[in-house]
Amino acid sequence: MEEINFAHSIRVDENKCIGCVTCMRACPTKAIRVRNFKARIIDERCIDCGECLRVCPYHAIVPITTPSSDINRFRYKIAIPSPVLYSQFGQNVTPDEILTILKEHGFDQVYDEALVCEMTNLAIEEFLDENKAPRPIISCTCPVVIRLIQRLFPSLCGLIIPIEPPREIAAKNLREEVAKAMSIPKEEIGIIHITPCAAKMVSINHPETLEKSFLDGAISIQEIYNRIMMKVKKSKQSVMLRSQNQFSGIGLSWAIAGGEVKGLKYYHSVSVAGVYDTIRILDDVESGKLKNIDYLECMICPDGCVGGPLTAENRFIAKSNVQRLARIFGDKEQVDQYLVKRLYREKFFSFERAVKPKPFPPLDTNRDEAIRKMELKEATIRRLPGIDCGVCGSPDCRTLAEDIARGDAKIGDCIFIDGKGKRKE
Amino acid sequence: MSSPIIYEEEFRVEGGDFLKAGEASCRIRAILKEIGIDNSVVRRVGIAAYESEMNVVMYARLGRIRLRVTKEKVFLGVDDEGPGIPDVNLAMQPGYTTATEEMREMGFGAGMGLPNIKKNADIFNITSTVGRGTNLEITVKLNGDGRN
Repeated sequence: MEEINFAHSIRVDENKCIGCVTCMRACPTKAIRVRNFKARIIDERCIDCGECLRVCPYHAIVPITTPSSDINRFRYKIAIPSPVLYSQFGQNVTPDEILTILKEHGFDQVYDEALVCEMTNLAIEEFLDENKAPRPIISCTCPVVIRLIQRLFPSLCGLIIPIEPPREIAAKNLREEVAKAMSIPKEEIGIIHITPCAAKMVSINHPETLEKSFLDGAISIQEIYNRIMMKVKKSKQSVMLRSQNQFSGIGLSWAIAGGEVKGLKYYHSVSVAGVYDTIRILDDVESGKLKNIDYLECMICPDGCVGGPLTAENRFIAKSNVQRLARIFGDKEQVDQYLVKRLYREKFFSFERAVKPKPFPPLDTNRDEAIRKMELKEATIRRLPGIDCGVCGSPDCRTLAEDIARGDAKIGDCIFIDGKGKRKE
Repeated sequence: MSSPIIYEEEFRVEGGDFLKAGEASCRIRAILKEIGIDNSVVRRVGIAAYESEMNVVMYARLGRIRLRVTKEKVFLGVDDEGPGIPDVNLAMQPGYTTATEEMREMGFGAGMGLPNIKKNADIFNITSTVGRGTNLEITVKLNGDGRN
């Protein structure tokens, strides 16, 4: 079997971790165990959703993003902020101002992604026009959704829309343009995403659908937040009447759940946000329940990207700010339809390769052994108390039973089982 | 010809219980994934199981789904105690349905259930007795011709 890379965008800081089981219980894919009072992430089960990062009371789960200083290794530095950035500094700051301040942070150029979001909407419609089946087609904007499908719902890989997300399209376009216009070798241009989550790092370092990502890194919104905020406060509070530039209201909405499908006019689409609800809806897709839906937008974070674990503003306020910006800029189309149609035909938006299934390992690669282990697992479940306390270091009794069947734990790990393997009274 | 059964389980499905509809097929998919059955097979069996389960929920009083896995195939046997189907050939026509208005408003009963089961099965048999119930035999081959 080909080597599968399970690199992640989060790690446990063992100096801070006390083994309190909070992260383990929050993990939707049961990828964390606590052994010897330290949390351990099981690489092949983790999907980088960041739930553990949100709940850890000791800040012992550390996101791995690009440090700001890293951009200095490039001759020409470009920032492509997620549209979420525009929602982080209150209501009176225009996207223009935020981009200007961001540029002073050490970039030669800053680029608005919202416009590319709107282009991507048109490309998605082109794809849906051309491909009448199968359904539903699933959005690929959230890299965690791709991982989730690969691991838990591998049979749905073929439903993922083979169109790169806006951040990659924007970077692809910029690299070509800048290299040509300024005669700078492509590899000396550094294109950095400003991200609300760490998961983008995985899609940059280990892209599933590209030979190599068009982005060179991702700096978290939290990392630059204070410095931008300081400057925002210093500059006179301009009441936002009119931004100097017209931004795409359609594209800005991509920062919140429902924003991506809002730009699809002619198709029956559904938007889902939050990791548990996403798992639930993908279960329904796997049953064949949602065949009458054309497009399914899934966002792992609550309320979409504004709910990302590396944002600064409370997500409810941020969501309201996005909605306000979208209203101000309106939903008049900013993008040349014919240009998008041409680029679509030239496959400018297309995946370089399809998303491959990477299912969770079965209990055993030998089917007879797998069944024996499953029987052992079921028998063990009946012996365990079923109260899911987590003290054994597995997230719940069912998972402990599975760990025992796989040989990674023993029945004695349960504090309700005595030395003879009997239930304590 | 038939090889030994390596896994077998039976699931009870209550007619009229729309809240629990889908639980048995969900469990069947989880089992097949856990024992390492190929994704495309899991998908086809999952869809066939779900559609069968929905038929029981919508039309019958009670049903059971027997899952049987051998080295060569996944087999689903679905029996229900229900009204039976007077004209099986008609019921196999895509779009033909006896679902009530309410069911269709809820998004069920589009008349694609049985055709969809057949489409996803390598071997499909249906027998029905009016007033008694319906029996489905669904086989998906493990190393089949790769049909999806």
